Amino acid sequence: MRIQPRQSLLDLWQATVDYSYRDGAWTPGGRAEANSTSEAEQLLCLMYPASQIEAFKLDRPDETARDIRESLSTLGDAMEIPRRLVTALRDYMDRYTSDTGTPVFSAGSYLEPRAPGELLTSEQRNLDVVDSLSMSVTLSLATLGFLKVFERGVKRPTLRAEMAELTELASRRLTAAMVGLLRSFTVHSFAPSSPAGQVLCETVNQRGLPTETLVGELHEALARVRAGLAEVTLGSGGAEELENDEHLFECGWSWGIVRDAPEVVTLQPLEQPVGIAIRRPLLYFTVVALDGIADLFSARTRILGLLNEEQQGFMRALQIRWDLTQQYWSTLAGFGGERRWPLEDIPWRTTDGRESDYYSLLVISVTVEALLQNRAGDLDLARVGRVLEELAVRGRVTRRALADDPAVELHAPGIRLNLYGAEDQLGGRTGPEVVWPVADFATALFKRTVLIASLAGGASLRDRLLRLSDDIWDHLHQRRLTDGPAAGLWDDASGAFPHLKPGDQAPSWYLTERVMECLVVLARMVEQPPLRNDRLMVLAQDLALEADHIYSQELLRGSADAGQLRTRLAHLGRRLDRARAIADNKPGTAVAVLTEVLRELDDFVQARRSSRGLRE
Amino acid sequence: MILIATSDKGGTGRSVTGCNIALRCALQGSNVCYVDFDFGSPTAGAIFHVESAARGILGGQGMHSFLAGEAAAPVELDLWRHMDRAGLRPRPPGAGRLVLFPGDEGGGEFPVDEDMTDRCVRLLRRLAEEFDLVIVDLSAGRSYALQLVLEATVRPALRPVLARWLVFHRWTRQHIIAAAGLAYGDHGIVDTGAAKGHDRDHLRDSIRFVRTAVPDLDSEQFAGLVPTQAAWLQETDADLQRLAARRRIGRSVLLGSIPLDPVLQWREQLILESDVWTLRIANPQTGAALDELAKDVMDDDPWEGL
Repeated sequence: MRIQPRQSLLDLWQATVDYSYRDGAWTPGGRAEANSTSEAEQLLCLMYPASQIEAFKLDRPDETARDIRESLSTLGDAMEIPRRLVTALRDYMDRYTSDTGTPVFSAGSYLEPRAPGELLTSEQRNLDVVDSLSMSVTLSLATLGFLKVFERGVKRPTLRAEMAELTELASRRLTAAMVGLLRSFTVHSFAPSSPAGQVLCETVNQRGLPTETLVGELHEALARVRAGLAEVTLGSGGAEELENDEHLFECGWSWGIVRDAPEVVTLQPLEQPVGIAIRRPLLYFTVVALDGIADLFSARTRILGLLNEEQQGFMRALQIRWDLTQQYWSTLAGFGGERRWPLEDIPWRTTDGRESDYYSLLVISVTVEALLQNRAGDLDLARVGRVLEELAVRGRVTRRALADDPAVELHAPGIRLNLYGAEDQLGGRTGPEVVWPVADFATALFKRTVLIASLAGGASLRDRLLRLSDDIWDHLHQRRLTDGPAAGLWDDASGAFPHLKPGDQAPSWYLTERVMECLVVLARMVEQPPLRNDRLMVLAQDLALEADHIYSQELLRGSADAGQLRTRLAHLGRRLDRARAIADNKPGTAVAVLTEVLRELDDFVQARRSSRGLRE
Repeated sequence: MILIATSDKGGTGRSVTGCNIALRCALQGSNVCYVDFDFGSPTAGAIFHVESAARGILGGQGMHSFLAGEAAAPVELDLWRHMDRAGLRPRPPGAGRLVLFPGDEGGGEFPVDEDMTDRCVRLLRRLAEEFDLVIVDLSAGRSYALQLVLEATVRPALRPVLARWLVFHRWTRQHIIAAAGLAYGDHGIVDTGAAKGHDRDHLRDSIRFVRTAVPDLDSEQFAGLVPTQAAWLQETDADLQRLAARRRIGRSVLLGSIPLDPVLQWREQLILESDVWTLRIANPQTGAALDELAKDVMDDDPWEGL
């Protein structure tokens, strides 16, 4: 692995604060006009590593490491850094809370009209999107955890008051985001003969089965998910969709609050927008929602006790959807078993008839968690790994692009996802059609590659995947902005695709935040103990046996009686102890230590023999 | 403002750092006086390059004699006229006053009585009016001088005067434990002060710590370490950070950190710009750390804490 996550994260932190902290204040904005999602992304560039990696914690300023302080020195010293963050976070939460105290998740400048030249209405620009909901879950949790630890050392009344206010705002925002996610989940059912049904059947039918047999098998395979969905209450996407047993279905998240989504009862009054999003799961938003929801039941959230009772109820409701969605998509991805998985049949087709390599990548993203939970074996992981490798090639991440290569569009300007339903406005009027551009192919690819690598039990598979991740990182690294105030942030696609014209020199927080997530995933993998190799363990045991024996022989000979030899032998004894202590966890290191011990013991033996005039 | 400098152990660089703070504050334009309450070993004169007061002064007119009631007024030395060091005489343009109140040669520790406290209160009150910064250098540990100052600063006459405490300690396990003990432990500053009528929280919040002789792993003096030593040193440093945090003398109450510097270490002396830039015997980091410390001593923000 060539990437150094700590250094890369420090560079990213420094670039982020140098760009964002100007004239003594946190200044939101970048390439896109600031909106609720982009600002959350900008703040998460600091807050997410700080909440996920022990070494990057900022909540105990007494213990902040020097290189970390230095990377953030634009914000001030170790004491000032958390204070500035509190202010920046509070300002953000404040800005995106309406006059009536309702958190706002508007998509703003991230939305684009489908047809160039058209103008979105302000009502459309204020639409809540799942991206913002999910980012807000992550940011609120990072904030609450940070405050919980930081407040132990804070005495200043003004700061305490500011922190209390921020805690309140973040907790409200978290509740509202969870309610939003509960109301944007959806189940879409359709007849096998409908266009959607046909696409689904074609996608999963890798063995050329007759449609009826296939539908029967599919029903069988998805029976548990179906039964689970019938139990879903609270929010949208319940049993009513599944009344027709003959119908096929899909589940996941739409782009926003779905049409006719019922309101969720909350303890404190909460204004809940009327849903207009199509009642159909969209793969991209499903992945985004799953990522955010996973933070809700992470160990950190539990240990720090970040959720109140109401939020815990919502969390359980979301967790059920999370489980079912994972199961659903991983069942589809691997349907039919041995010969060829639907997932391996690139590109994936969605039930609205679109197909793209990007969708294949999204399906992998959904199924990675399922692989993790099922403790998938290396054979399955290797298959997914091959798909990732192929996607990297096809997406021109690890291969040079041709001039006018259509694959480059995956990265710049990105895929434009239709936000079906966003054109419907209050009062029956119709506005322009809305799209959501996504350009995170490379980062999504990187993140899943590293996740699969960290699951891999065998050295060769892990090595292959890590080499792939190195290559993807090279690609990402080339896309860093290198000039101007945003140097060190992303994204300049022309760095990797020379035929593109260099674009806007302002940072894309969308991509920068995703690069940061990649580095966090990587850092967490590095934190794990190294892979253990059975052959090495056997070798280490055998070496230890021999070394131990020769060592005992030396002692028996009375070597410990000779001054200088005594200290050296004692040293070797300690090295032997060390080798035994690490033989189980780091057998390779143990072998290295034992080899050294054996060689040195042999020096004594040989010296003795030569004094007796013997030869070996 | 009265700045009381103390330490649990000797050899922490309390006096030499205190003198350097005094000099730098004066050079930045403040009127500063340095009062030597280190009765056992009044060596501030030596640090300030005043030969005649190197170990306190003779003649029974020093701080010791004054507090004991044997002298009507203590001797005060205008350091700009007495410092025997090129570049420091006469007073540089823009500099404020810099005055030393030396101790007596051959003085010693003595128990505190009521009259002595009165004299101490009157003196400090007068000095606080006359100077922007009054640095009181105490003997190490839980001394009579510490008792005296705690007793004096709680008196109504000194109540309105801002008093701040600096505890100096070296960056080692024992020193960290000792410094925390002196501040917060049994018969420590807070404990003793509270018994004498100080507000416990307020007193605790007016204590800050200065780490001295801190090895800077990135500096050139450590360039010769073998990698295992560097790894060990880094881990030890992180360990000390955690220890300090646990003992509540972590970075949130840290006012400054003075790097290990040969000039401070072997010849306790003032560090001038010329030492850093012309003679290049002192490290630039040391000069910068002292500047920063002198600034923070007078600044309110670092004293407000988190």
